[in-house]
Amino acid sequence: MAHAVLEEQPQAHMGLPLSNGKLAMWMFLVTEVMFFTALVGVYVLLRQSAPSSGPNRWPSPHDVHVVEWMGAVNTFVLICSSLTVVLAHYVIARGNVKQAVIYIGITLALGFVFLGIKAVEYYSKWQHDILPGHIGEQLDHPVTGQQYAEKIRRELQAIEKDPKGLSEETVHECKALLKDMQESPDKTKYNPGLSPEKIGEGVMKILEEGEKKNPPETVPLTPVIPHGNMWASCYFAMTGFHALHVVGGLVIFVIILVMALLGRLGAQHAAFLEYTGLYWHFVDIVWIFLFPLIYLI
Amino acid sequence: MTEAHDAAGHGPNINAYLIVGGALSVFTALSFGFNYLAHHDKMSVFSAFVAILAVAIIKATLVGTYFMHLKYDWRLTYFMLIPAFILGTMMMIVLLPDIVFAW
Repeated sequence: MAHAVLEEQPQAHMGLPLSNGKLAMWMFLVTEVMFFTALVGVYVLLRQSAPSSGPNRWPSPHDVHVVEWMGAVNTFVLICSSLTVVLAHYVIARGNVKQAVIYIGITLALGFVFLGIKAVEYYSKWQHDILPGHIGEQLDHPVTGQQYAEKIRRELQAIEKDPKGLSEETVHECKALLKDMQESPDKTKYNPGLSPEKIGEGVMKILEEGEKKNPPETVPLTPVIPHGNMWASCYFAMTGFHALHVVGGLVIFVIILVMALLGRLGAQHAAFLEYTGLYWHFVDIVWIFLFPLIYLI
Repeated sequence: MTEAHDAAGHGPNINAYLIVGGALSVFTALSFGFNYLAHHDKMSVFSAFVAILAVAIIKATLVGTYFMHLKYDWRLTYFMLIPAFILGTMMMIVLLPDIVFAW
């Protein structure tokens, strides 16, 4: 009878045999699914609104300086980090805290590699002026055409004043375009010179010739890319929010490492690591879909 | 008690994680390969798009099933996930009329 008293009595639990932490994390991930579905859905809608070929086509990865292999490397980096975070949970659940800390450290490092590659890509966009609202398009419209012409005029004058390491050939072409703009027979009271479309053609020719050089030259002139501003808005919205989510995950990994440093991480935190892993896997899944949408086809 | 059981009592073994990790890497290379074939006119763009999307769905399923332990926790979480998928699909459908061809 004493033995029966000492046995653990089965307890009745309300609801599903699902821990509060896991339920809460999945509920949060469901909201994040809706968030990213909205962004991706709008991107698909805008993409489908534009033709796939012709002069008014949606920008191809080449048009907007998107490097496919960088996206593929980033995908591989996130897959590896998902693997290491799940291994961290696996080993900590079996009491091996030290090994778990190593795996979390590797996950953190891979996260930083991902953000580093993203930073290189964002810098490239900034260098080429592929930013929302900056790109020249709809040059046949009087307002946007005029704005683009004025912008190019200022950029060409800046190049004339300070060539910034550009080749003589490129500087000569820029000066020639500026001269054409100022002395064009099209110049009227309302038209400052060459038509914006002709200016755009001249600019794209200079940019393409710069790309063909060895090493490729980045000329600081605003490109003309149909649907380019919409593309840039979608790109920075989707990848920017994704990167912010990656940063959030890295913050949690740092917290885990600090806990380990203070000797406060133990096997009892296996569930904590599992929930963190769920979040990190979700971030990976989002990138799995963003990569083909942005970088491929 | 439930959390400790969740933490250590279930889940794939380490080999399954490593195999899935390897498979994900292979699928990533595969989608990159389909893109290469499409750009070099060895495959139609539409076929490549369908193949790449299928690969993405397979990868997401592998991550969800094994890494996120849905293989074991599906019966505990489906009531949240299925409405999310339905609503997500509905959102995509609701956006379709806004596709206005900008020729």
